[in-house]
Amino acid sequence: MMTIVDNDKCDECGTCVSVCPANALVIGAGLTVSPKECTSCGICARVCPFGALSVRQ
Amino acid sequence: MSDNNYDIIVVGSGPAGSSAAASAAASGRRVLLLERKPVPGVPVRCGEGIGHQGLTLSLPPRPEWIKSTVTRARMVSPSGIAVEVGNVDKSYILDRERMDADLVKTAVEAGAEFRASSPVIWAEETPSKRYKVIVKVHGDNIDTYNNAINNIEFEASCLILADGVESRLARCFGWDTALRLEDIETAAFARVEAEGIENDCCTFYTGSAVAPGGYLWVFPRGVGAANVGLGVIGSRCRSGLPKELLLDFIGRKYPGGRVTDLHCGGVPVGRWVKPLVRGGVMLVGDAARQVNAINGAGIAYSLYAGRLAGAAAAAAFSGESFCGKALLGYQRAWAKNFGKQQERSFALKEFVMSADDAFLDKIADSLSKEPPGAVSYLRVFMRTFSSRPLLLFKAFKLFR
Repeated sequence: MMTIVDNDKCDECGTCVSVCPANALVIGAGLTVSPKECTSCGICARVCPFGALSVRQ
Repeated sequence: MSDNNYDIIVVGSGPAGSSAAASAAASGRRVLLLERKPVPGVPVRCGEGIGHQGLTLSLPPRPEWIKSTVTRARMVSPSGIAVEVGNVDKSYILDRERMDADLVKTAVEAGAEFRASSPVIWAEETPSKRYKVIVKVHGDNIDTYNNAINNIEFEASCLILADGVESRLARCFGWDTALRLEDIETAAFARVEAEGIENDCCTFYTGSAVAPGGYLWVFPRGVGAANVGLGVIGSRCRSGLPKELLLDFIGRKYPGGRVTDLHCGGVPVGRWVKPLVRGGVMLVGDAARQVNAINGAGIAYSLYAGRLAGAAAAAAFSGESFCGKALLGYQRAWAKNFGKQQERSFALKEFVMSADDAFLDKIADSLSKEPPGAVSYLRVFMRTFSSRPLLLFKAFKLFR
């Protein structure tokens, strides 16, 4: 399982960052997910206002 | 002293960060203001509404910041019953691009150094009890966590984190700022040009079909234009829902209207973060969750808290020596002046979240029978509680 960012949809607003319990998301130049921290819990995808995040098998 | 050393580093140049940088720099300290985006305030992720009192409390507003002045408010219930609220305090719809740019300019004129396009990816305490921030330089392809090539480090004795709702730097210093799904509104913001937008009235739409656990707002922004946005409470959100609901509403309400801007963002609606200060690190603005939880308003709090934090930072220095204890004055002043009010708004939010569509319709129906002009916010409040006396008791407990 992993969390995927669709950069075409992502507005870099950081709503996902504010709810991530694992601190796995970073907005630097673009949004990135750290696979080391990410637990694929899906909370980020659930709150994304633009639907830019998804958890895939 | 090398060039990368400062007294105070402020991360984030929104209203909170710029106010902090300006008030800290005004006393002659060496201040660095960092902004992750190329242009501060762009894009705007905000309804841009603010009350007269909230704006004028911290600074004299400039006429060019004000796009519209609003004196009326209308609330629309889930089934479409509209209630006009009279005696509304004068409010403004701001031009945040303009205001944010001017606030940065004010900080720079006060002596702060400003760096745009400078996202801070990490911060930590150094062995010499100072703070180091690592700024990622654009245009590289390195791993965000491990590789330091191309990154720049800055150091200071005091750190002010004004890095917004997306703040993750606080977590570097032991704060757990991850928001519960009940404490975030996930929002979509549009600017719409259309016929029939009233220039002096804010309209709020409620209901689970329009904005589950939140509301939709129409704020006039100059002639024939409005900010139209909505928030959905995180616990009732699914991926992409805020954008879908907003575009659906705009399509129905303003056929033929033009969407000139579409962005998204999160609005914290929890309690303000305690403590606000750890060692030489302070949180301000959305990063500190200093937002009115009932309506999501945060500009006035940010301007005020930023100024307080900047002044506290400057006062914590005496010559070259720095004493973090002096920063606690910031938290005390915030708690005394706005902290209680913010907590009340949180309590009220918890109550409103328990109201369903039928309840909102009932209140709206009874208020719509009042003579025009007789409805005030107070009456809305009283009516709400008089129809549910048990809640009044509950509310008293919350307000104590």
